[in-house]
Amino acid sequence: MEQVKITINDKDIYTSPGKTILEAVHENKLDAIPTLCYDKRIEHINSCFLCVVEVEGINKLVPSCSTIVRSGMRILTNTQKIIDTRKTALELLMSNHYADCIAPCKMNCPAGVDVQTYIALISMGKYAEALTLVKEKNPLPLSISRVCVRNCEASCRRNFVDEPVAVNALKRFIADYNPNKWIPVIKEKKNKKVAVIGGGPAGLSCAYYLTVEGYSVTIFEKLPELGGMLRYGIPEYRLPKKVLDSEIKWMLDLGIEVKTGVELGLDFNLQELLSEGYNAVFLGVGAHKASKLGLDGENSTYGIFKGIDFLREIQLSNIPELKGKVIVVGGGNTAIDAARTALRCGAESVKIVYRRSLNEMPAAREEIIAAQKEGIEIHFLTNPKSIISKDNRLKSIECLSMELVEGKPGERPRPVPKPGSEFIIECDYLIGAIGQSVDTSFSKFDQSCTLRNSGIVVINEETMETSIPGVFAGGDVVTGPLTAITAVAHGRKAAMSIMNFIASGCAGLNNGKFFSSKDKLAKLSAKEFDHFSKSARAAIKELSVKSRVHNFKEVDQVISEEQSICESGRCLECGCSEYYDCSLRKYCDEYKIDVTPYLGEVKKYLTDGRHPFIFFDPNKCINCGKCVRTCAEVLEVSALGFVNRGFKSIVKPAMEKPLMETNCISCGNCIDACPTGAIREKYPFKVSGILPKENYETICNFCSVGCKVNFKKISGDIFYVSNTTAEIKDSHNKGYLCSKGRFGHRYLLSKERIMHHAVKIKGTVQNVNRDEIFRYIHKKLKSIIDKYGRDSIAVFGSPKLSNEELYLLQKFARVGLKTNNIHSFSNLLYGVEQNSLDGMVGFTNSTTSMDSLNNADVIVVLNSNFSEDNLIMELKIKEAQKKGAKLILFGSSEVRLTKFADLWIDGKKGTNTYLFNAIMKRCLDSGLIAVEFINSRTAHFDEVKAMIESTNIPEAIEFSGIKPEKFEMFFDFIKNLNSNIVFVNNIDSNREKSVNDLKAVADFLLLTGRIGRNDSGIILLREFNNSSGLMDMGVNPGFLPGYVKPDENDEISRISRQWNSELKDIFKPVNLVKKLEKGEIKAVLIFGEDPLAVKENVRYFNDAEFIVVCDTYYTNTAAEADVLIPAPSYLEQGGSFTRCDGTVQQSTKVNKGELEFENWQTIQALASLFSKGFEYNSAGEILNEIKNVNRFYKYCSYNNSWLTNYFNNGFKNQKLSFLEYGIDFTAFNPVKPVIHYPENYYINNIKMKLL
Amino acid sequence: MKRVKVGLGTCGLSAGGQSIFNKFREEIRDKNLQVELCETGCMGMCYEEVLIEIEDEYDSYLYSKVSVDKVGKIVNEHLINNNPVKNWIIRSKDACSEESFLNKQTRIVLRNCGVINPASIDEYIAKDGYKALENVLNNFSREDVIEEITKSGLRGRGGGGFLTGLKWKLAYNETADKKYIICNADEGDPGAFMDRSVLEGDPHSVLEGMTIAAYAIGSDEGFIYCRAEYPLANKRLRTAIRQSREKGFLGNNIFGTGFNFDIGIKEGAGAFVCGEETALMASIEGKRGVPSLRPPFPAQKGLWGKPTSINNVETFANVSWIIINGQQKYAALGTQKSKGTKVFALAGKIIKTGLVEVPMGITLNEIVYDIGGGIKGGRKFKAVQMGGPSGGCIPAGMGNLKIDYDEITSTGAIMGSGGLIVLDETTCMVDLAKYFLNFTQMESCGKCTFCRIGTKRMLEVLERITEGNGKNGDIEFLESMAVKIKTSSLCGLGQTAPNPVLTTIKYFREEYEAHINEKKCPAHSCPSLIKYKVVDELCKGCRVCIKACPNRAITGLLKQIHVINYDLCNKCGKCFEACKLNAIIKV
Repeated sequence: MEQVKITINDKDIYTSPGKTILEAVHENKLDAIPTLCYDKRIEHINSCFLCVVEVEGINKLVPSCSTIVRSGMRILTNTQKIIDTRKTALELLMSNHYADCIAPCKMNCPAGVDVQTYIALISMGKYAEALTLVKEKNPLPLSISRVCVRNCEASCRRNFVDEPVAVNALKRFIADYNPNKWIPVIKEKKNKKVAVIGGGPAGLSCAYYLTVEGYSVTIFEKLPELGGMLRYGIPEYRLPKKVLDSEIKWMLDLGIEVKTGVELGLDFNLQELLSEGYNAVFLGVGAHKASKLGLDGENSTYGIFKGIDFLREIQLSNIPELKGKVIVVGGGNTAIDAARTALRCGAESVKIVYRRSLNEMPAAREEIIAAQKEGIEIHFLTNPKSIISKDNRLKSIECLSMELVEGKPGERPRPVPKPGSEFIIECDYLIGAIGQSVDTSFSKFDQSCTLRNSGIVVINEETMETSIPGVFAGGDVVTGPLTAITAVAHGRKAAMSIMNFIASGCAGLNNGKFFSSKDKLAKLSAKEFDHFSKSARAAIKELSVKSRVHNFKEVDQVISEEQSICESGRCLECGCSEYYDCSLRKYCDEYKIDVTPYLGEVKKYLTDGRHPFIFFDPNKCINCGKCVRTCAEVLEVSALGFVNRGFKSIVKPAMEKPLMETNCISCGNCIDACPTGAIREKYPFKVSGILPKENYETICNFCSVGCKVNFKKISGDIFYVSNTTAEIKDSHNKGYLCSKGRFGHRYLLSKERIMHHAVKIKGTVQNVNRDEIFRYIHKKLKSIIDKYGRDSIAVFGSPKLSNEELYLLQKFARVGLKTNNIHSFSNLLYGVEQNSLDGMVGFTNSTTSMDSLNNADVIVVLNSNFSEDNLIMELKIKEAQKKGAKLILFGSSEVRLTKFADLWIDGKKGTNTYLFNAIMKRCLDSGLIAVEFINSRTAHFDEVKAMIESTNIPEAIEFSGIKPEKFEMFFDFIKNLNSNIVFVNNIDSNREKSVNDLKAVADFLLLTGRIGRNDSGIILLREFNNSSGLMDMGVNPGFLPGYVKPDENDEISRISRQWNSELKDIFKPVNLVKKLEKGEIKAVLIFGEDPLAVKENVRYFNDAEFIVVCDTYYTNTAAEADVLIPAPSYLEQGGSFTRCDGTVQQSTKVNKGELEFENWQTIQALASLFSKGFEYNSAGEILNEIKNVNRFYKYCSYNNSWLTNYFNNGFKNQKLSFLEYGIDFTAFNPVKPVIHYPENYYINNIKMKLL
Repeated sequence: MKRVKVGLGTCGLSAGGQSIFNKFREEIRDKNLQVELCETGCMGMCYEEVLIEIEDEYDSYLYSKVSVDKVGKIVNEHLINNNPVKNWIIRSKDACSEESFLNKQTRIVLRNCGVINPASIDEYIAKDGYKALENVLNNFSREDVIEEITKSGLRGRGGGGFLTGLKWKLAYNETADKKYIICNADEGDPGAFMDRSVLEGDPHSVLEGMTIAAYAIGSDEGFIYCRAEYPLANKRLRTAIRQSREKGFLGNNIFGTGFNFDIGIKEGAGAFVCGEETALMASIEGKRGVPSLRPPFPAQKGLWGKPTSINNVETFANVSWIIINGQQKYAALGTQKSKGTKVFALAGKIIKTGLVEVPMGITLNEIVYDIGGGIKGGRKFKAVQMGGPSGGCIPAGMGNLKIDYDEITSTGAIMGSGGLIVLDETTCMVDLAKYFLNFTQMESCGKCTFCRIGTKRMLEVLERITEGNGKNGDIEFLESMAVKIKTSSLCGLGQTAPNPVLTTIKYFREEYEAHINEKKCPAHSCPSLIKYKVVDELCKGCRVCIKACPNRAITGLLKQIHVINYDLCNKCGKCFEACKLNAIIKV
């Protein structure tokens, strides 16, 4: 086709006509035009208007996603006008996006600790990961979890339901669970020095993050030990110093140098440090200077202390004895700390005097309550007026009663003294804890940084840099006395700036991330949380008053593991599950948007979690319509649609019903379509906020369509299915999945794993080591062989095993055990015609690839219900229909696909074969047969011709019960010998079929020359992902790998040579069912199947003396096993799988798993005990051997169909045989109970909820 | 035999026409008169409804504002005694009190409206109906038809103003196994009712126009997309289609020429956006009425992917006239680039509201003053709003503007489908912009970001301004948002939605500024920005306002000056309306 020349940003390119501008730009990688509503798999609709570009000659901006290129078009993709428009589009979208990107707990944590995620990790039992995550932002969780002010809990949305999640208690739980175990990886030394002045939380945190990044840090501390206020301001009973010590030690062990007892200003100064080779300095000296009460005689009277000095002294020297009455003045945490400490120092009584009321008290409520419980009285609305002393010793204080008057707007009420209300309180000691400030004496000795009047250091709030370049500051020294977590946050932020400063000479930070937040857009109301049920907050155990008031034992106790699991369950998961993948948020960052000018009405919707697996949050919907169109155009289900108009328009399930009451087939493809978090999976685990996710593309391990599926791994073994990557949209299934593929893989999260090799001896199960178990199996099998002969052993493999495993398994049976008793229960027990076409071409398999559907003129679906069994095949058929293919459906009862069929042949059960004979007769009569093909390529035509000719067409039609005109229509559709006809049949389908249908179809295909022809033929689907591979590998007593039959002596000899083992006497037909029934099988080795999932099957095992089961999960069969061998899960090992049309695909190892071997190694180890010939170093070596041994697999390569390659190459000289058959009018329903764990899991846990 | 025609268009019906029709039927039956009673469509003078016309061999007499109690007298005096009730007649051979309304009009589209019985195909045929079709099928090639219409200069009356002949040609040029003709009767502009009147008063002219168009482009199937809120129009259309089929003017082998064409009706659910042609087609296809990007144009890929020509009701109603009278005669009317006539629905603060058809080139002032009789209550003419929510305001100062597609577009307004709302000094232009934006905002399909949220945010700013909470920068915000919405919306709705705001800012910026800076509404219209005040000098203490006030906010003894208590006043304006002494004013 002639190419179209267009100019994009002054660059000429050629592209094919019909392309959109967006496609042309993206293809040529000229610009990353943003878009939210574009999906190449569906018709464009342009709603988001992010992709706008300028086209010369058009005064509007055009949506590039849907504007088709014209020759000579001149396009600009990044002018200021375009950028402004895109930015506005995003701002408008976000102004009505009532949702939180990240949870308020994280938003409001000064340090930005990802609370929601660590709670999620706790709920999954991943305590170590949770703690590591905390330490990314807060390196002092042991200490902080004991002292934190908990903005997270104050902002917790659970406040709207009942009480906030006990975040701090959870943090303490994980910090205490395995303290200081994890050691961060220290990056390569950078040979850069940083001085940190002050060893409190700010300095420690700054030092920590710098050290981890490879900087050399020295901490300068005035006091004898590190810890700052954590050590000298927080009493022992709140934060045991042993705990603090351990945490500081853990940190210092990373290689931080410490100099204690040195004071800034006296022993060194800032300029010296810089000139001595420190590349930067962090100043975090805190606010240790106590404020005076301002009473006469305050300094000279014995018995008067300052709160923070009092607490520090206790820490520095011994605990003083305070005999007598103590009064503490103040309402902050220091006052409470001082009061409770005084009590523990032996005070007779302790009272607190506070000038405002309880409501205004800044101390933590829990602390106040604890103090009161301990017997500390609080005198509210009281203020000391003067000191009364005798002999310079405190006797009592005179106090005034206060009353509150309204303060300035935004301020607390102001206390004013009531005139004449003076009264006396007796006391021996007075502790004034009314505030602290920065001790700025250092500035006198130093060319110091700029200070404010209040004494705090002035910094650039973005970078934490002081007025001196290279000197940074944080913590109380820049805020005045504040909180430990703020100090930690400052330390980390300063560390980041320092790194920038050292690397580039400039401290600029670029943290401009955009977060959507409900609070920014509207006021929240409790009504929005109505649907959450209430649950009690974890109660934190504390020491009884009696056992704590006379000592310094830690009062609050850590919560139990049970409590922590329960408490983590209370998290409402406010932060968006799609944070990491949300395109909308990414663009908001990229375009640096600001919603402020666009704030206005916001639509609030209730979330909808009524579907068992799909969760709707319409607040996050941006009306891109991708879900609606995917559902309507690809699935042709239309379970979703738009409702309302204008600002109120929104996506809802059809007729605004619950999704489960619509046409929804729960395929979940809408989840992948959604570019935001408006439609997401209801995960079987807690939403984990902003944790990064890794993509792993592999193959679905349910049915034989072999869809590509992408697992998103969150942490370790936690993952979910998400087909959103660009690559997967190019796969053969275009990334679409059915509900099995999407939700069925949850079985892989199941904890019911077999993890140990075990032996059952006399009814008791014992774990045994791997080598021992193999020796034991060897011994047992030997004794059985000795007693009953080799053919008393049978090996069974699952059609869900990889080709490598299956090949090895049958080789183990035939070479190692020297028996032909190799089979799969799935094929053995339920009489499905796995050999119908053997007589024609030598094997029963597809004769054309799924790709041929793309070029099909007619598609004939036989007795299958793809909507239920192979949805993606149905989608492929629907897509083919859009390209013009006609669909003919055979089946006596209506299925979902019926209404899409151009013709439905609804003959009575069991009459299809007869109809096919009639149609063949019709072809013969009309002379519409491929005479040359028949003559040159086929055999036995005459016999079959006679049978066809004897068919009476009207009789057949009448017998089938179809309308005669349907028969004629059918003939019209298929009579053209040049048209491409593809038959599709699920050979394992549970639906009724007549016995010889497939044979009749094969004869029809031969009669019309359609075997071995591209784009015509038959596609045979099977039930399990490697059902085809299982046959190809020869896991069947009837043939060796490559469908070698017992009469093919040359081939048998060839394989015998390759295997170095004579097969002639071993490879004999055997009726395994009969042998099982007769009890001739004494030892059974079952790999990955669960025959005992069906109770009646017990009869096959009555006489089995030894059962070996190798599986991933505890199944019914595993319960009966004498020996259990654990197998890695599907995700824990790679392998090749052959889909229904012979295409060999490779699966990916997603998780490492806890088992140290793959399944092929188990079979190898076992087989090696019996014979040589199993020396493989990798699974790849096995595949190479398969290619040599299996005559068809030489045509195989990854992602190519060996069948197509074979029919295009090797097949040329082969004669095909017409199949003779009788017409059997008895329809049969192959009753096929499922005997695989994943399918049973799907049926019991997924399907059941969808019914 | 005398004939009584009762105007039973929607305007007549809502004025009580049906009971008058029934009364006449009763009288005629009771008195056993030899009089034919029939219904007819809108005659245009909606301000005079109910109108009835009595015809005899010599003359016709048009009675206006007929009520049920007048019927008896008309029957007795006029029908029985041949003595027309002169006082009630506004037009007869001898005298016409409505000359100014009628004289400046040229009725092509409305030629049969209010003249014939729309339920009778025979009356339409009697007025040369279906002659054009017969002529075309027998004597014109398809190219001839297209050429004739092209040369006539007829432009799309739906608002776009695209040359009709050219549109047909595009569809004609496409090769396809199937083509469609669609009549867009989804008239949705507030205040516009031209299409409804044509469909109610002369449905066959539309069917005939469509059939001619179908012949021209080679289509055999057509749809009329008519809103379900027009029950009478739909009923008349159904009747007309049935009659037309019976006569063989629709169906197979029309006029024995082998040409086949038939028409179906699709009733729209009343979404304004479905007037947009791509959304309209989606709606006919059974999908949500959501526009899609053009190109491809409907002429290339329209209904169900087939070439489709979509024209408005009024456009089709012109076609047979042009064929019969020749394109030259049509092209002789109007200006250089806008030919023929245009129907307008006159509404607003004008004396004679109704339906008028004027030749292109007439000035706004002529329409407002000569035809419309000027402004009600002697107030000052301020502006006209044209083109509905997609249109804009043209200030009174531009009253000499000629009705012409391009001239109107140059003002920032658009011709639109023909809604023409006259505004006087009491109309607040910010409030007006708010009204129209509220309409488009609600009617946006909700697909495109700018139209869905941008118009909402603009509306919120307008609401703020009219509530006295406007702030510096609001006008600039409106302007910049308006431009972004116009340049970044998919369909006509979004691309034009900001027009009312932009044109009012353009011509009445000072009104916006007064709202924002002085917190005043110069038109005294925005409730939050006005106060009612008693003018002491004029108040006679009659207590009328006190009685009118629902909130008991006015106090005062009889014959003493009354006082408004502003704590109770909710600015409903009842006192203002009640006071006959103009003693209550808005400040």
